[in-house]
Amino acid sequence: MITSLIQQAPAETTTYMVAGYSVIFGIMLIYIISLVLRNRNLKRDMQSLHELERQDK
Amino acid sequence: MYSKPRILTILDIVTSLLFITAVALVFFYAPLEAVMGQVQRVFYFHVANAWVGMLGFLVAAISGVAYLLKADRKWDIVGLAAIEISFVFFLTAIVSGSIWARGSWGTWWTWDPRLTSAAIAELLYAAYFMLRQGIEDPDQRARIGAIYAILSFISVPLTFISIRIFRTIHPVIIGSGAASAEGSFDMTTKMLVTFMFSLLTFSFIFADLLWHRIRLGRLTEERETLRLKTLQ
Repeated sequence: MITSLIQQAPAETTTYMVAGYSVIFGIMLIYIISLVLRNRNLKRDMQSLHELERQDK
Repeated sequence: MYSKPRILTILDIVTSLLFITAVALVFFYAPLEAVMGQVQRVFYFHVANAWVGMLGFLVAAISGVAYLLKADRKWDIVGLAAIEISFVFFLTAIVSGSIWARGSWGTWWTWDPRLTSAAIAELLYAAYFMLRQGIEDPDQRARIGAIYAILSFISVPLTFISIRIFRTIHPVIIGSGAASAEGSFDMTTKMLVTFMFSLLTFSFIFADLLWHRIRLGRLTEERETLRLKTLQ
């Protein structure tokens, strides 16, 4: 009876919590970096194309 | 010419502040769950990621309908942007869910109705990108993409209701789940506050990223037009 009244400690699952949040933050960060890089490359392309257009004129 | 609207900068700042607050709530405000321990904290962002996934797939289906009705390419850009973001967030939800499952069920994966339907939905949307890659004509690509986005959206409500209609071990947090569910827990007020705040934060993240991705899509269209003009 006494043992059933004693609260069991929560399971030790810190490693899984760290792994879970590493995945969540990691994927989000990679996606944001990909957006920034694609945006930068596109702007660079646009500048080059505008320059080519000006040279043609 | 490519300057960022001021309201988007404000949205970036508000979203960042909300995200920092949500992280603080998850790690410092929400209490430790009595049975599962620390891994239960994955739940807050796991569900929020799945929410963004489903929200974006819905936006893509609506954009698909709008494109078919108006044949305006801006709706194709919106649809593609929404699916790309949702694909990433839904993948995160599946992977983080798998890690949570290992901590609470003792297995990385099981062919449970929720896990299976979520995996099918993700694969369906992976095929969307492959389909688009295979079509050269932009108008045809937009039309077929729109039809595909509408049809593949059927998988989303199926994934959502799978844990409510089938016998499953996946817990139902809102509403009543199956008796066989494992990893269920009673949410305390602090847990509920953290959960709702995470959903709000991820809704902002979705809106912010969608806006950025739409701008990227428009820039891509402009580049293609300019490239064709330069080649002529």
